[in-house]
Amino acid sequence: MAGSQDMFDAIVMADERFHGEGYQEGYEEGNSLGIIEGRQYGTLHGAKIGSEIGCYQGFAFAWRCLLHSCTTEKDSKKMKALESLIGMIEKFPYDDPTYDKLHEDLDKIRGKFKQLCSLLNVQPDFKISVEGSGLSF
Amino acid sequence: MRLQARGKEGEATFKLDVIHSGKDFWGEGVGKYWKQKCDSWICKSVLSEGHQRTVRKVAWSPCGNYLASASFDATTCIWKKNQDDFECVTTLEGHENEVKSVAWAPSGNLLATCSRDKSVWVWEVDEEDEYECVSVLNSHTQDVKHVVWHPSQELLASASYDDTVKLYREEEDDWVCCATLEGHESTVWSLAFDPSGQRLASCSDDRTVRIWRQYPPDNEQGVACSGSDPSWKCICTLSGFHSRTIYDVAWCQLTGALATACGDDAIRVFEEDPSSDPQQPTFSLTAHLPQAHSQDVNCVAWNPKEQGLLASCSDDGEVAFWKYQRPEGI
Repeated sequence: MAGSQDMFDAIVMADERFHGEGYQEGYEEGNSLGIIEGRQYGTLHGAKIGSEIGCYQGFAFAWRCLLHSCTTEKDSKKMKALESLIGMIEKFPYDDPTYDKLHEDLDKIRGKFKQLCSLLNVQPDFKISVEGSGLSF
Repeated sequence: MRLQARGKEGEATFKLDVIHSGKDFWGEGVGKYWKQKCDSWICKSVLSEGHQRTVRKVAWSPCGNYLASASFDATTCIWKKNQDDFECVTTLEGHENEVKSVAWAPSGNLLATCSRDKSVWVWEVDEEDEYECVSVLNSHTQDVKHVVWHPSQELLASASYDDTVKLYREEEDDWVCCATLEGHESTVWSLAFDPSGQRLASCSDDRTVRIWRQYPPDNEQGVACSGSDPSWKCICTLSGFHSRTIYDVAWCQLTGALATACGDDAIRVFEEDPSSDPQQPTFSLTAHLPQAHSQDVNCVAWNPKEQGLLASCSDDGEVAFWKYQRPEGI
């Protein structure tokens, strides 16, 4: 009795079995395609953020040199904001995308950068391009 | 509540502010300065050169000598008053788009602005009338509609399209968001502190007014606090009174009466029931003026010196003055 059931099982359950196998194959393919897409997105997004923060850092370093010799009261406020921005950027965790305060800290950096521009009376309008067009004069 | 005077502006009037002496006020769309002469109001000055677009909010400085105007052109102008003339002393730039509100701190040294760019800026002014940006706060996730300062502490509150109210204070030379008040189900349009500063009223597109109370750490009621920051809890919700969006709420510093400006063209006044529990107060509607204006009422403001005098302005381009009398038996 048991033997004949197995034989019919193979035929009767064929449909379901094929569904299952198909699903499994599809799932695995989708999974690997998803990982590739995710990686591409992550690279792009990470590059954007890195580029933005890199800009702020370069800007801050340049101004720190320019203001190095100035000693007025106003300049000390500018220096304070500069050092604060540099500090925030240095503390930012570049290797941990799962850092729970990532966006919060990013917003703080952007806010500090805007405040700095206001203090320095500079308009922040440089373009951040991912293609890396480099400097243009 | 009866009408005392009505004036035509010509264009929709968004916000008005009553100078601390109670005798002058600013209404704008363009920027018009009115002075009270006997019982009628005379327009003394029109400032049309400061801004390129709508002037959304004006605010008198605590000393009464300066006026700040926030505009959709992304700038905030500071005007110095010289009798009936005004001179623009500086223009604050930095916001990326429309500035929605401006407010002076009671000390007179700090100014806050907020914008559709989702940020709140805090500015400091020194004795030489020099303004400096002290902080750019990116806590909200949407358009920030209103900013208001606490009457006695250096505490700032902001209301946003993201349905929350946020509070900010200074911490080590920078400003931080120290509390987020959630509860409203839609855009929070305006805020007002009560005379003591212990409570905050917020009004919203969800047609309710919420009253929030501050609980410092180690409070008697056992409300939990994180760290040294006080907690804020919603202690009262006024719902079912307004049939449309509530655009403004004003808390009278003299009497504690609460006035609201609604999109259903009406003005309402609420008073706290004296016998109610301070931790769970109840407010009663003591005045309801349907058709106060022929369109949305955008702003209400209590006269800081004269009890019961309320000013309102509307999309219909009119500014109206009302005399409110507390009903007997309250």
